[in-house]
Parts: sequence; structure tokens; C-alpha cells
Amino acid sequence: MTLLALDCVGKHHRDGPRDRVVLRDASMELDAGELGVVWGQRRSGRSTLLRVAAGIELADSGTVRFDGRDLAAQRHGLLGDEIGYCQKTLGYDLGLAVLEVVAVALLARGVAQDEARERARAAMERVGAASCSAMAPVELDCAEAVRVELARALALQPRLLVVDEPTKGVEMLERDEILLLLRSLADEGIAVLASTGESTALAGADRALTLDEGQLRSTAAPELAEVLPLRRAAGPV
Amino acid sequence: MRSLVNWALLGLVIDRPSYAYELARRFEREYRDALSLSSVSHVYTALGTLRERSLVEEVAGTRAGRQPKPHYRATPKGIEDYRQWLVGQIHEDRQRQRLFVLQLGALMRNPREALEIIALYEQSCLELARQLPLARRGTSQPAASPALAVRLLAEESRLAVGAKLAWAQYARREFAALIDDGDDR
Repeated sequence: MTLLALDCVGKHHRDGPRDRVVLRDASMELDAGELGVVWGQRRSGRSTLLRVAAGIELADSGTVRFDGRDLAAQRHGLLGDEIGYCQKTLGYDLGLAVLEVVAVALLARGVAQDEARERARAAMERVGAASCSAMAPVELDCAEAVRVELARALALQPRLLVVDEPTKGVEMLERDEILLLLRSLADEGIAVLASTGESTALAGADRALTLDEGQLRSTAAPELAEVLPLRRAAGPV
Repeated sequence: MRSLVNWALLGLVIDRPSYAYELARRFEREYRDALSLSSVSHVYTALGTLRERSLVEEVAGTRAGRQPKPHYRATPKGIEDYRQWLVGQIHEDRQRQRLFVLQLGALMRNPREALEIIALYEQSCLELARQLPLARRGTSQPAASPALAVRLLAEESRLAVGAKLAWAQYARREFAALIDDGDDR
């Protein structure tokens, strides 16, 4: 079942005197339980695509539907309720321990303190970051920060998880553990949409896409593989 | 020596000297998707060739009570030649890729056709990239040879796909510019 659907999405950004087209006619779908990874080079529009998909930014044209609902028509959006968004780095230093950071969004939604801490702890366990609970955010390395970001989003039990560059800066030998974690979250039924500038992060995806100058150019998915005429065209890599 | 099987077998002997049957089993385990033996006797033929070329040498087996099985180990020449051959493979891969690029470049008067080929090429790269295995570390034998070989191969493939995807984007812009130039005239 299609959970997320982008249809001919366009987006402009003002860049000094220039009006830059960041997304052009971007269309894609993601089902529940699918891991979709968007690969693009720097300034390809991949982070914007994710922010638009998460409802953080509204599209200038086209539609973004979540579970059939137009995100632009949702008065308060769905971010934090049904959609979780993980940014590239932990962008906060509130003097809180990591576990408290993960619990903050739950407390803000009126969840009782004990329950919030318990759900935060469970989310930290789920992402393999329980040992970081008492640390300060600034003490985390890149892989730990990604895991904590995922825990923060997962604590709110999203149906769609949008993750911007989950492997950026992560030590090479730890990178696949992060990707396996995303894969396992998708296998549990969450739709996961991630962006990357590294081709290494495409492994294990159900749906792999390329973004170039704001245009989604190519998609690889199981249903497309069967009709791909140049299956071996990439040569022995 | 052009036989890939011979070179692949030499690699196994370098990794761990052994006797023919065990080498055949390791061969199937390590190279299962990439190379195949026609039969176990293929290994005996290949070992014969390697020995004739002084790349491996036979040492008497130690098994008692029965006729000892001959073990094979690499000679210093075998190790050196294998190293040279492995590095030489980079040039062979490069040649194949070069040919593809040159054939595509020959379509400069038909840029729309070239763009369609680039799109298929890119899609093929993506398909390969998403199917490559993720490295599961922390297993009971994290450094065991087959697991390590799979991880090394997957990483090399994943990085190579990245270069091809980036190149496809560059090529698309070049051909799109040709179309724009044609439209302007």
C-alpha cells in the first residue's frame, strides 16, 4: 500500500539574486515497509526532497500525499505524529543527557514523565544506543548521533521515517550497521526514506533513486528489475 | 597465463597451502558467483599448469596410514606473479569501461539515443547497488576469509557504482548540451 506519494513536486529557493529550481516534477512512491534511498550529488536537491516529503517544507507545485492525505492541507502537518524526521546532526545542546533529549518530544505531547522515559529507553535499546543514554549530545560520535536521532524519531512511533544522510561522516566499518538498522526498521513495517551522497548507502534498499538537478532520474526497484533490458550494462563493478 | 580459474586457484593456494580436493571445495565456496569449475578434475589440471610454470610447488602430505596427499604451496614467483596479475585486472576493467564510453561518445549526432542509453545504464547501476550485500560484522568469525572476501567485494562494487552514477550525470549534461546547441541552430 502506498504510504507516501510525491506527484510532480516542484520547489524553488531564493539564492541571493537567483531563483534556483531545487526540485522539478519529482514523482515517487513509497510503501509501508519499504526502504527507499535517494542518491544525489551535492546541491542535487536531495535534502529538500526529504524535507518536502516529511512536510517540513511545502512544495511550490505538485502534491505530497501521506496515506492519501495531502500534506499541504494538514493544518499542523503530520511531523512528529505519523512522520518522523532525522536531520544530519544532533542540532541541540540543551544541557540534557541523550535519554532526556529523546524523551523531550514525548513530554511535549503530554506523555507522563515515567512513560516518556520508558519509551525513550526502549527506542534507545531498539537502535543499539542504550549505552549512550547518560552522555551529552556533544559527546556522541557520528554513528551514535545517527542512532540517537533515529531513537528520537522512533519514540513517537512514526509510520514514515525520513532520514537525511544517515551515513554521512560515519566511520566506514560502522556504516553498514546503520544501514542494516534502517533495513530492519523497514522490515518491521515502517516506511523509511533516506538520502545519501554515497553510493555505498544504496545497498539493501527496496527502492533506489537518483536525483540530478532536482529531477528524479532513475529508479531501481524489484518490479522494475524484471523489465530492465540492460541488466548487465554497468559492467563488472 | 589467461585462465581465470588458474589465477583464482593460485590465490587460494597463496592464502593457505592445501591439497587438490580441499582446494576445489574452497574454490566453490569462495568464488561461487564469479567462477565455476567444470569438475573437481579441473583443479588437478589447473594445479598441473601452475606447477609447470613454477607458480606452485608440491610438498609431501603428512597424513599417516594411507598414501599421503600432495599439498601445494605457492612459490615466491607465484606470489609475485599473482600480485602483478591482480593489479593488472584494474587495467582490464578500465579497458571494458573505456570501450563502453567510446561507443556512447560515437552517438554525438544522436544525443537523444545516447540519453536513453545513459538512463538505462544509470538504472542498471542503481539495481546493482541496491542488491549488493550489507556487511554483517560481529559474527562468530568476523575475520573469516569468505566473509571478509564478500565484504571487500561488496565495498569495491558499491564504490565503483558511485563513480559510474556520477559519470552518468556528467554524460547526461554533455548530451543535453548537444541537444540544446542543436535546438539553438
